[in-house]
Amino acid sequence: MEEILRMEHITKRFGDMYANRDINLDIRKGEVHTLLGENGAGKSTLMNVLIGLYQPTEGKIFLNGQEVRIDSPAKAVQLGIGMVHQHFMLVEAMTVFENIILGDRQAKGVFIQKEQRRREILALAEKYGLDVQLDKLITDISVGEQQRVEILKALYRGAELLILDEPTAALTDLEVEGLFAIIGKLTGEGKSVVFISHKMREVLRISDRITILRAGETVCTVDRANASAGELASLMMGRELAPSHYEKKENPERQVVVLEHVDYNKTAKHSGLSDVSLTIGAGEILGIAGVDGNGQSQLAQLITGVITPDAGRVDLKNSKVAKFMPQAFIEEGVSHIPEDRNKMGLVGDMSVKENILLKSTGLPRFSRFGGMFLKKKAMKDYALEMQEKYDIRCASIEQEARSLSGGNQQKIILARELEARPDILIAVHPTRGLDIGATRFIHDTMIEARESGCGVLLISADFDEILEMSDRIIVMFEGQVMGEYSGKNPPVEEISLAMAGK
Amino acid sequence: MDWTFLSNLILAGVRMATPLIFLALAELYSQRAGLVHIGLEGLASIGSLVGFLVSLITGSPLLGMAAGAAAGILVNMIYAYATITLCAEQIVYGMAINIFAPALAAFIYRVYFGAGSELVQVALMETVAIPGLKDIPFLGPLLFDQTPMVYLAYALVIFTAIYFNKTKSGLNFKAVGEHPKAAATLGINVIGVRYAASVICGALAGMGGAYLTTCYTTTYVDGNVAGRGFIALAAVIFGRWSAGGVLLACLFFGFCDALQIRLQVGSFGVPYQFFQMIPYLATVVVLGIIGMRKAGPKASGKPYRREER
Amino acid sequence: MKNTNKLVNILVPLASVLLAFLIGCIIMLALGANPLVALQNLWTGAFGNIRNLGTTLSRATPLIFTGLCACFAYRCGVFNLGGEGQFIMGSIVCCVIATQSGITGFPGILLCLVAGALAGGLWAMIPGLLKIYRGQNEMIISIMLNYVATLLMGVFYTNWLRDGSVPQTMSVPKETMLQRMFGLRFTSAFVIAVVIGLLTYYFLFYTSKGFQLRAVGLNMTAAQFNGFAVKRYILVSFIVSGAIAGIGGSAELLGTQYRLINGFASGYGFDGVSMALIGQLHPLATMLVAVFFAALRVGSTTMQAATGVPTSVSDIIQALVIVFAVAGLAMVKLPEFKAAIDKLSAKKEVK
Repeated sequence: MEEILRMEHITKRFGDMYANRDINLDIRKGEVHTLLGENGAGKSTLMNVLIGLYQPTEGKIFLNGQEVRIDSPAKAVQLGIGMVHQHFMLVEAMTVFENIILGDRQAKGVFIQKEQRRREILALAEKYGLDVQLDKLITDISVGEQQRVEILKALYRGAELLILDEPTAALTDLEVEGLFAIIGKLTGEGKSVVFISHKMREVLRISDRITILRAGETVCTVDRANASAGELASLMMGRELAPSHYEKKENPERQVVVLEHVDYNKTAKHSGLSDVSLTIGAGEILGIAGVDGNGQSQLAQLITGVITPDAGRVDLKNSKVAKFMPQAFIEEGVSHIPEDRNKMGLVGDMSVKENILLKSTGLPRFSRFGGMFLKKKAMKDYALEMQEKYDIRCASIEQEARSLSGGNQQKIILARELEARPDILIAVHPTRGLDIGATRFIHDTMIEARESGCGVLLISADFDEILEMSDRIIVMFEGQVMGEYSGKNPPVEEISLAMAGK
Repeated sequence: MDWTFLSNLILAGVRMATPLIFLALAELYSQRAGLVHIGLEGLASIGSLVGFLVSLITGSPLLGMAAGAAAGILVNMIYAYATITLCAEQIVYGMAINIFAPALAAFIYRVYFGAGSELVQVALMETVAIPGLKDIPFLGPLLFDQTPMVYLAYALVIFTAIYFNKTKSGLNFKAVGEHPKAAATLGINVIGVRYAASVICGALAGMGGAYLTTCYTTTYVDGNVAGRGFIALAAVIFGRWSAGGVLLACLFFGFCDALQIRLQVGSFGVPYQFFQMIPYLATVVVLGIIGMRKAGPKASGKPYRREER
Repeated sequence: MKNTNKLVNILVPLASVLLAFLIGCIIMLALGANPLVALQNLWTGAFGNIRNLGTTLSRATPLIFTGLCACFAYRCGVFNLGGEGQFIMGSIVCCVIATQSGITGFPGILLCLVAGALAGGLWAMIPGLLKIYRGQNEMIISIMLNYVATLLMGVFYTNWLRDGSVPQTMSVPKETMLQRMFGLRFTSAFVIAVVIGLLTYYFLFYTSKGFQLRAVGLNMTAAQFNGFAVKRYILVSFIVSGAIAGIGGSAELLGTQYRLINGFASGYGFDGVSMALIGQLHPLATMLVAVFFAALRVGSTTMQAATGVPTSVSDIIQALVIVFAVAGLAMVKLPEFKAAIDKLSAKKEVK
């Protein structure tokens, strides 16, 4: 097979940090080439360089043997490179049709020639089996359909090379099958696909060749035929995958949270809860498995008092909750590691110290006269103590929290939430985007909290994390509880099916 | 209430709505590209002064309007550079423009005429009747016997509606205000569109201000914009970010303004200031009633950095 | 790291002031005046002798109030552009009480100040309520209410409390006026302003509630998730902010103006916003900027008399300071700029 793209010695630096370092990659015509690597391995950065969103600090790109300079996304489009981003680049307030023709340079004229464009798009959609509804607003269609719109968008611009960044992350199994069929048709027509993922099963199924990235560098490129899951995983991690076994607990003696037939915004499948009943026991970790956007966020916000249920009963430590306010829940001993640490967890413009103390400045320990005079020395000493205990790496505790890495930001939140000695801990995607070291630290800390009798609700889209951590597993799909499973020897197949709504 | 009262009211209302239409369209273009601009009041004030001066010197109110537009563009380039290139907070910088531009206008006026000078007056733009349409009974003389600027304002509304709804360029423009990163991945020049929007915004806001001194009153006084820049902002929210909606909102506020002037004449023994409050109170009440059901362009107010992680 | 940040935060406004003066000098040159002489007169006019200093402080007093008003609300993340209206409402209520109630002397002054604070606070509550219950743009509303307040004041000086043929209200009785200090132009109103500024500083940086208010201002969502009553903070910040302006209105009326008249408090609201922004929302810095602004205004009169440079040059300089300062503060936050600074400091360390 002939080579269509070659990236040579690509380096991309942000400030002092290398996101990519001396990366080499070549793509052949008609192949599915997977970029495999952990979060933060530099996959997305490399692709953003390829589509002209970032300029490489060093390195060259060759297309069909010719050196090219991709200095803007427009140039990439012109060269036939298209990308479907993990977070879709769709304008929600516009229709599918409008999104597809956006920025179109091929068609002449000032006005939008609606009929003609529609015919072209529909023909293309038919050819590749991309089922979309052109006149719907993006907000009104499913995630799977949004992805098809993205693919169609790229094809409409004449993409020969299509980059799919974590395309299966938000899809159900059934939708994944559909996507793979589309990829088959694309390569059948001679188009090349770069598939970015860290899900081994899918990678082995769909790829022709696999390039492994680790910590911003290329490890190697292998043919699928010569690869095994274990080998790939150890290449990806840089060490043997040692499955950590936390001891699983069963049958907690008392319940700290009880939800009975709770409804919230019931009709919204992706942002509501419908007749949810569950319990969280003291000293257990309840894992919520499920594809992102099946009501998990709402579940977390409900048990932390941010939103109020439309119907049903919520008990905290055996007493019915009357008023849904975060303050009341915090007083009941609920701690929260929210899903978006920058938006919901931290005040980015405040210092590490201030974020650690966010909830506790009114305590006698840190202020006199009921909050009327802050004890600055006590605050500083405490923050330093926490910095050490939670291994928060920063130049100074006076540094803005915004400027820290994700892992260290998460540790600030952990310090704040766990030092409150909660009875209930709600952790949402606690390790998303973190490196292995930070992830391990956070897992250990959560287990410690469990050991001290705290009831933990762990919500994660990372199935492996759920399997590793949970004493009990509940699967959510479209706002409903699909089933409950023991964390000890969980039936993996069955749970996967439940996650897809079966 | 008799027919003369009503027809005078409509005539005045259309006239009073015109500067608001210019200003609200300025805001619409700016916000559609993702730039919330609370500095229209300032742009209008400088436009108003420059329009006045040029119209006085050249004797041509039309040239005054053009000069007002140019002045608006120039001052708005400061805003554009700060918010687009330096990523300054848009609200804060809009406020800076609101402080800077009127000071500049007042300064130029003082320097040009000297302190304590008498009021200088200019001739206003003459009305041009549109043959045919003017002869429509009742409405004809009211709507089609106005200054060219009134016609221009309505033409701009129609143009804007077509531009945003029917053209490719307009679609791209909107995408920049909704999701600049998505727009960039499609090869749309986000920075370029934002600067272009700032040029349009500056020109329209300058014209909105210049209208006041070339078509409405014969003199320039400090503070003559009198909150119209902010009422226009309200009109954009009220008009739900669409050209047609903005027109209706401006007509409503224009009529409120016309009404207060008419009522002052009647007076009824009530201090005239209470009537003058009507447009401002109407704005508060309208905003209070409509609330924030639908927010504007999603990326409005946020800076766009090319290589953001 | 932190020290560089602090340094930059002080350097940027200073550089803006220098740049603004530079342009001011160019304008003076263009007007045919000697900028050095003009600036010297400006300085003498503002600080040259103790008398002038008193005048400057007197002019600074209302500005301090509106500056603190803008500063306080923005610390909670809401833009109160209605300082002027709240100031005026305070002075209207004060004027009514001072001239109509018959209560004079210290009780009268106290009553006037408290009533002024209440009036300002209530007036600011309107945008606050519309913001939290209707999600509405507090800036537009507070500005519209400025016009309403100004017009309402007009009713008082042209109609209800009019004194004779001139459109102005009756004067505050002598016994209720705030006393001048050390025989200079400034009154105890200045002391009140400074005390409120210190209190604001203490509240924001030394109390738990102040800390939480700042957290709300910087990230409302995180504040909500962490159990702060965000809406209550917003409403309270509006009310307190308005009350500060309202006291200012009372104090200005009792200390300097004595009667309401056309043009009273005109522009003070935006001046306040400008000062708060240049002072980077720090109450003490805001007060300093207020004195600086007042000095420019007072000094420019002397400058005009001596050199013929119009006083409005000083307005331009003020306006340029805000234009430069806000842009400068944004510029130093750009990643490119940060990288350059890091490089510089790295080089220094190597040396």
